[in-house]
Amino acid sequence: MEYHLIDTYSKRDSLLHRLDPRTKIIVFLGLIIMIVLTPPKQFITFGQYGLLILGLVILSRIQVWFYISRALLVMPFVLMIVIFVPFLKEGQTAFRIDFWFIHAQVTHEGLIVCWNALVKSVSSVLLITLLVATTPFNDILHGLTHLRIPRVLITMVSFMYRYLFVLLDETERMQHARLSRWFGGYIRRQIKVIGNMIGLLFIRSYERSERIYASMLARGFDGSIRRIDNLKFRAADAVFAAVIVALLTIIWETYNL
Amino acid sequence: MHIPDGFLDTKTWVALSAVSTGFVALSVVRANRKIGEKHVPLMGIMSAFIFAAQMLNFPVAGGTSGHFMGAVLAAVLMGPFAGTLIMSIVLAVQCLMFADGGITALGANIFNMGVVGSLSGYLIYFLLSSAIKGKTGKLIGIFIASWASIVLAASACAAELALSGTIALNVALPAMAGVHMIIGIGEALITTTVLTLILAARPDLLELTKI
Repeated sequence: MEYHLIDTYSKRDSLLHRLDPRTKIIVFLGLIIMIVLTPPKQFITFGQYGLLILGLVILSRIQVWFYISRALLVMPFVLMIVIFVPFLKEGQTAFRIDFWFIHAQVTHEGLIVCWNALVKSVSSVLLITLLVATTPFNDILHGLTHLRIPRVLITMVSFMYRYLFVLLDETERMQHARLSRWFGGYIRRQIKVIGNMIGLLFIRSYERSERIYASMLARGFDGSIRRIDNLKFRAADAVFAAVIVALLTIIWETYNL
Repeated sequence: MHIPDGFLDTKTWVALSAVSTGFVALSVVRANRKIGEKHVPLMGIMSAFIFAAQMLNFPVAGGTSGHFMGAVLAAVLMGPFAGTLIMSIVLAVQCLMFADGGITALGANIFNMGVVGSLSGYLIYFLLSSAIKGKTGKLIGIFIASWASIVLAASACAAELALSGTIALNVALPAMAGVHMIIGIGEALITTTVLTLILAARPDLLELTKI
């Protein structure tokens, strides 16, 4: 199933993998926000961001098809925007579509909207993938705790992450049981089976959470979880952050040319 | 319905991030006040449950497949603000692990599915199940609530995209709402079946402390 993809690459070794998660979270989040804030007509700037992302992809030493497959995930949304573009009527006409019963005009403004959504969503997906593929999920959560995200939320997410695999395995077993007994049938009947599976999953999950809570209380749980602090901000982190900031300054210098 | 980065303009995503942060903070405070430190493992595992349930695909007409959203189910079982919290955690993890929905659009996605989906769905369920007594009221309530939650979440999504100038409202809103009126029937049928099973097997689980 899909979930075997999680943390597949994050335990490898490369320059990016060795950086402190805090450095990576701040740098990648900053990059995403900068890209999202860039006006759509700055084509050169987007090219420069593209080169920067390509450099990071090479540094991560993970095969390129992995990033491509992730970037393809946003394509259905981009396609949805493309469908709606002929209806954005204001502006200068770029070209007309006259095909059978379809008569639509596409404006320059409409094309810019399309380009804007495409380039920003793909860049952002690549950056998120870079972060997650080079950092184990628990380290991301640990880094976020240090970045003042409320601890209670982080603890909930780490619980979710820990038991997600248990519940997904349970779901997979139910799926197998269903598929091995299923010989085709009405959608209505299938929906009933799926509803019963989800109901059963809820009852089992709730009972599991009761058992977990009881055993946590038995071990002295008081609402917070302590963990060993092993994050270190090294020289490499400072160099990496400095290089990215320097590159961004260069990009800014060429911004309005 | 998971909006990626770059589809919303700055004013929209910043405003919605602020609103969603407020709702999530409110939910955490309420959860802590109502059930104490127990909410930590409970919310975590319920989020894992919703995440796992969303993995169960079912065929929709035309060779595509749909999956379950679960905001109303979470809200009815655990309370409306628990629904917000659970959906927020699920969306944050989906955004990070599967690049499903963007980082800057996370606030908007939480608003659509966690705030609009969960709170409005719970309100509809609450009104209908108090108006019509007994098991029938609960089942009718949850059917309409989960259908409406999908349509409202999709409409909120279309409105945000239109507000950002990405799509035209007069075309997008009817199209998005129309498509999700059909998808919502699947969600409603599944959620109702889930409630029927829980009413038959463990009716005590419906009497949990609501957050």
